[in-house]
Amino acid sequence: MNNIIQLTDVSKEFKVLNRREGLKGSIQDLFSRDYKTVHAVNHISMNIHPGEIVGYLGPNGAGKSTTIKMMTGVLEPTSGEILVHGRTPYKNRTQNAQEIGVVFGQRSQLWWSLPLIESFKILKDIYQISDVDYQDMLALYESLVDVQDLYHKPVRQMSLGQRTLSDILAAFLHNPPVVFLDEPTIGLDVSMKSKIRELIKALNQQKKTTVILTTHDMGDVDALCKRIVIIDKGTMLYDNDIEHLRSFFGAYRTLKVKLSKHITDYSEEAKNRAIQTMEELITPQFPNAHFQISAEEDWVNILINESEVELMKVLSFIQTKNKIYDMQLDEISTESVIKKIYEGDGGHEPA
Amino acid sequence: MKTLSLPYYAHIYKMILIQDIKSKMSYRADFFISTIGMIFTNLSSLAAFYITFLNFPSVMGWSYHEMLFLYGFSLLALTPLQCLFDNNWSLRNFVYRGDFIKYCFRPINTYFYFISEVFDLKGLGQGAFGLVTLIYAWNKLQLPVTFLIIVQLLLALTTASLFMIAIMNFAAATCFYIINSGYVMVTANKFRDYAKYPITIFEPFFRFIFTFIIPIAFIAYYPSLLFLRTNNIPLLTWLSPLIGVVFFYLSYLFWMHGARNYTGTGS
Repeated sequence: MNNIIQLTDVSKEFKVLNRREGLKGSIQDLFSRDYKTVHAVNHISMNIHPGEIVGYLGPNGAGKSTTIKMMTGVLEPTSGEILVHGRTPYKNRTQNAQEIGVVFGQRSQLWWSLPLIESFKILKDIYQISDVDYQDMLALYESLVDVQDLYHKPVRQMSLGQRTLSDILAAFLHNPPVVFLDEPTIGLDVSMKSKIRELIKALNQQKKTTVILTTHDMGDVDALCKRIVIIDKGTMLYDNDIEHLRSFFGAYRTLKVKLSKHITDYSEEAKNRAIQTMEELITPQFPNAHFQISAEEDWVNILINESEVELMKVLSFIQTKNKIYDMQLDEISTESVIKKIYEGDGGHEPA
Repeated sequence: MKTLSLPYYAHIYKMILIQDIKSKMSYRADFFISTIGMIFTNLSSLAAFYITFLNFPSVMGWSYHEMLFLYGFSLLALTPLQCLFDNNWSLRNFVYRGDFIKYCFRPINTYFYFISEVFDLKGLGQGAFGLVTLIYAWNKLQLPVTFLIIVQLLLALTTASLFMIAIMNFAAATCFYIINSGYVMVTANKFRDYAKYPITIFEPFFRFIFTFIIPIAFIAYYPSLLFLRTNNIPLLTWLSPLIGVVFFYLSYLFWMHGARNYTGTGS
């Protein structure tokens, strides 16, 4: 089997009651039912290969959770076909559940009052994990995180970070081929976030688990995902490598140079003069390129589209004309690219 | 695919139950206070019962001890509901907060998984109370004790429990369909107070309702006829185990249907 998850032209519609305003409206609602159809997911198709970590992104209300729910078998698609590990999830919800792991945001699925290890034991029996596999998994967990400290702590008493960690471990416990993580790092501090990212990465590598990850944190995406899928308003906007994403929106990089040693004059006039000087310097040399030049404090920033001209060429040219005291390079962050996509600015404006 | 058979479920249930009781026991104060509360609740309702009978020697041909029999019987029949199905009371909170979805991700039956999660120890106190009352009434009424009667009693108790559990299943599952289902739960719970009385004391209209619409008459009245009115047992008494199973199954279907529907819209 080539694809572990296969979505073919999947749509999901909800019927929502059009509610009228005010008390009078509420009374009218009692008698007439005026439904409108909400297209939560619109003709989405994608194929996911075994062992991939796919970042599934989109603004709030884009239809991410709906898609995840359909893949986990909780929701039935209105149309289209979903195959997860060769099964239609909705029709075989219980069998499908045996072969997936799910972590849904801040909603712990563990037994609230039980210590973690007891929850694990119950899960071992529910998923009918063999003793050997179970011990192996625990050994792996122990090698990756300090899980022993958590074993005897009731979930109720755990911090959010510990709980998320425990939930992720519980989701991988029966070694499912696919794990869905819905905003696993939401609300966590920086060090816990990186701990969880490392854990997910390690489990993905060691167990060859396919991971579908929704998140709003681009740190998660940069750390974990090679491939991202972006949807908005139920429609798929992008499905490709994360590297490709940046070039898709233009291979923009910002070159920052400092041309004089001490600048004391930060006035608007001085900045404009610096911008103008730079423009006159480089524009004639690279007539095909479109630069965006700005200035802040003693830096001059040049936004360069590398598909038009290589940044290094510009840099070395400036160097032949002017002494450069200092320089910096800014990559366009995934975050700003994604932001652009969400805001629907199209593909060709620099960030 | 391994079959998810009865022994499998029994084993999982045992696992979860033992863990839950263990963790509950660790809150000793909570356990003792709620047990004491339960005893007082039952004592006070028994006192009200007693005072009523000081003034009326019998109700529609039912003597004090016969009524006490019904009372003890209904308490015992309620014990499984109280102990094992208490999570139904929290269902609406799970549904409204959107946390119910976690019950849909395990490879086991959703209803089973949800119900198995909570074991309410308080119910045991109530059960003990009911048992003592029943034995006392049994003695005073000088009812025979034979193997057959004990089997009948156990069967009757099981049937009665099924009805009670089914009523609460129906009531709890309304939260999948309507807002403010809390009132439905409370109302359904009130109905079980009527279960303690012989339905002959009600008007024919209510008798019909309590037999066929909200079948609380099956909780204590019909089964108890088996022991108290041995010469005149109506057909409904004999049919009650069957009706109980069917009614419970219907309530289960209603519950599961709701669970499926709910996940269709919630986020």
